[in-house]
Amino acid sequence: MSALAAEVARVGEVGEVVVDLEISRAWLVDPSSGREGPGELVVTDGVIDAVNWLSGDEADGVDDRGIIVAPGFVDLHAHFREPGDEDAETIASGLAAAAHGGFTTVCLMPNTTPALGEPSVLGRVRAAAAASGSPVEVMAYGAVSAGRAGETLAALGELADAGVVGFSDDGLPVRSATLLRSALAYAGMLGLPVVDHPEDASQTDGAEANEGLVATVLGLRGWPSSAEASAVARDLAILADVRADVPGARLHLTHLSTAPALELVRAAKAAGLPVTCDVTPHHLALTDAWLAGWRRFAWDEPWRPGATVEASLYETSVRVNPPLRSVADAAACRAALEDGTADAIATDHAPHTSVAKDVEFGLASNGISGIETALGLLLAAVDAGELSLGRALAALTIGPSRVLGFRPPTVPRGLVEGAPADLVVFDRSDSWTVTAESLASKGKNSPLVGRALPGRVLLTVAGGRLAYNAS
Amino acid sequence: MSLAAPDGTDVRALIPDVPAGDGPDGEKAWRHRHLLDVDVLTWPEIELVLRTADSMREVLARPIARVPALRGATVTILFYEASTRTRVSFELAAKALSADVVNIAAVSSSVAKGESLIDTVRTIEALGASTLVMRHPVSGAPYLAAEHFGGSVINAGDGWHAHPTQALLDLATMRAHLPGGSVAGRKVVILGDVLHSRVARSNLWTLTAAGADVWLCGPATLLRGFEAWAAASAAAGRRFTVTSDVRAAMRDADVVMALRIQRERMEGGLLPSLREYAARFGLTRERLGLARTGALVMHPGPMNEGVEIAPDVASGPGSVIADQVSAGVAIRMALLYLLAGARGSGGSA
Repeated sequence: MSALAAEVARVGEVGEVVVDLEISRAWLVDPSSGREGPGELVVTDGVIDAVNWLSGDEADGVDDRGIIVAPGFVDLHAHFREPGDEDAETIASGLAAAAHGGFTTVCLMPNTTPALGEPSVLGRVRAAAAASGSPVEVMAYGAVSAGRAGETLAALGELADAGVVGFSDDGLPVRSATLLRSALAYAGMLGLPVVDHPEDASQTDGAEANEGLVATVLGLRGWPSSAEASAVARDLAILADVRADVPGARLHLTHLSTAPALELVRAAKAAGLPVTCDVTPHHLALTDAWLAGWRRFAWDEPWRPGATVEASLYETSVRVNPPLRSVADAAACRAALEDGTADAIATDHAPHTSVAKDVEFGLASNGISGIETALGLLLAAVDAGELSLGRALAALTIGPSRVLGFRPPTVPRGLVEGAPADLVVFDRSDSWTVTAESLASKGKNSPLVGRALPGRVLLTVAGGRLAYNAS
Repeated sequence: MSLAAPDGTDVRALIPDVPAGDGPDGEKAWRHRHLLDVDVLTWPEIELVLRTADSMREVLARPIARVPALRGATVTILFYEASTRTRVSFELAAKALSADVVNIAAVSSSVAKGESLIDTVRTIEALGASTLVMRHPVSGAPYLAAEHFGGSVINAGDGWHAHPTQALLDLATMRAHLPGGSVAGRKVVILGDVLHSRVARSNLWTLTAAGADVWLCGPATLLRGFEAWAAASAAAGRRFTVTSDVRAAMRDADVVMALRIQRERMEGGLLPSLREYAARFGLTRERLGLARTGALVMHPGPMNEGVEIAPDVASGPGSVIADQVSAGVAIRMALLYLLAGARGSGGSA
């Protein structure tokens, strides 16, 4: 740790090319080759100069519980709120948060104001990213429907030409099955995926909390699991049809949160459908019991009605769409990562202002500011034996890169000699406390504020340039 | 907050049988600063409220039904939902303790650019209120208010979640009218729209704590989720039964509490019609005949007579509906008094 700190001191300033970085005796994880173990890594002039895997005596004392080096993370799902809601987040503050979380590529959702439904908005996003000086790569989805109104197609071809990585009306599902059918075909022709937020809105009107024991006891309007599963079933049925005509049609289902929906994807993949999906750190680590003031992880002791709790009831920081689910659903999210049903971990980073969150539970905006706490939640699961480190890191790197397929991150994810340095260095033996001040995001709406999380990010390097330095 | 009258006499001496501060084992007799729900009350605490309410009933029976317990204090009644009986009940209770009362009728909305709840609560505190009685259509809203209010918050009903003073006055009413003065082992049926009922939820906590044999009965669409609660609750030693079989529920019941059915339930597709509800689940004389002779009939009000309860049952011999209303004032006096004491001695939530 102290040796690393000394090495880190020579990497320069954020935004500058990393001229000279040597990381000795760390645990290297390279999901692109499936290899992990003790090693050394040298970066010179922004390029990975050497990757030396250690063995025998040299490897003594190096294990996967200390300093870890992995490729930079890719977030398939983030909201940076610019343009339109810069009080909640800006491209610049979002990129700083991403780098703090170990992410070197982010894919932004188009539900800004105005929505990213035409190329000019993408131009504004890119200009803001360039002006921020952050080396974190910004990618963006275009809207599926014009104005995200769910009625007619947005300018899909023009957006594709401008460089979007896919299409989504996220925040909302693509309500019309007919429009989804058109979008899958048209986007498939362009070689891009449609990213759906699967929610049957007719089942979730006014919903506040996962339908189940917690919602019943707290008197909250139920948000049924079936609202997700039935939307996924619809999407998959349409995909199967469209694919017969348009072989390039691809569907990505984001933030799946329920066991039945994941089971549907598992079966669809087995049947050969071109579908991918992601799960979020909060859905695999937290449960709806957090609404009742419970603060144990999903794999720890479950909440019971009348249990003595540590936190206030009805905290709006745990209000999110889809809602935090049951213990069994969280376990299904972890199982889906382990068996590959879930291709990626996406944060659904959704920063909000205090104005939107410091209100009655039923009136609060949905969303968790999560891009900085993602790694910590995943490591908590790894520490508990509920997730393997290798799968977690693969689902943060090569998994999302493959989902992007046609338009992957500029720098391939891997610890490969001769490639631009794009990596994260974190210390599993250290922890950090989440506070409003420690979050770089303007969104302080995290239920983890006040809590210590394992795994401190020490260094993030994106495309050969320094993105974050803890020291 | 002083409990002493202006002439220096301790008001507690004016009210018989109220424990003065600490219990014999040194524990605080009452440690709660707020009353947000009854789920956090121990059985001895529930009994303390009921005993204190008994004393308050004696006060209310005096020619001048007023004691100076809260003289100089302000109780603010903040209602985001229309209500007459609960609001008036709190107002009478506060005035019987000589508090000043401020009534605020407010509107809650996520779109209206109005004052936030937190701002409203802080303003009420700045204006000098020591107790905030609050009703709100959003479940959990009083918990947010309690985090930002320096005095005491009493939940007068939040969304579908809780109505703690109603549950306590219901328990007091049952104890006053059941032979032997106890609900332990008695079959208590809560009949109707359980899903949307804060009264049912709060009553579940107090009645299971009291050892009653609680039955929740209604159409399947209005009981959704309660079977799972019953299963989880049984594991913790609090048992209750959930059924749509109204005859099984009514058989040998000691107490039947009908809940209000709202027209919105048809609009939401949860019920075919009020007529069909009345035919299948209405508390009629014929159904009441399945219960024990002399069974108590209750309703939290306001009633839809002819829908969830037949007029002849509502005003029949077993009906204690009017007694519920009068018990409410004493219960609310007891809580205002106990919470003031907890504030004085640094009580917790």
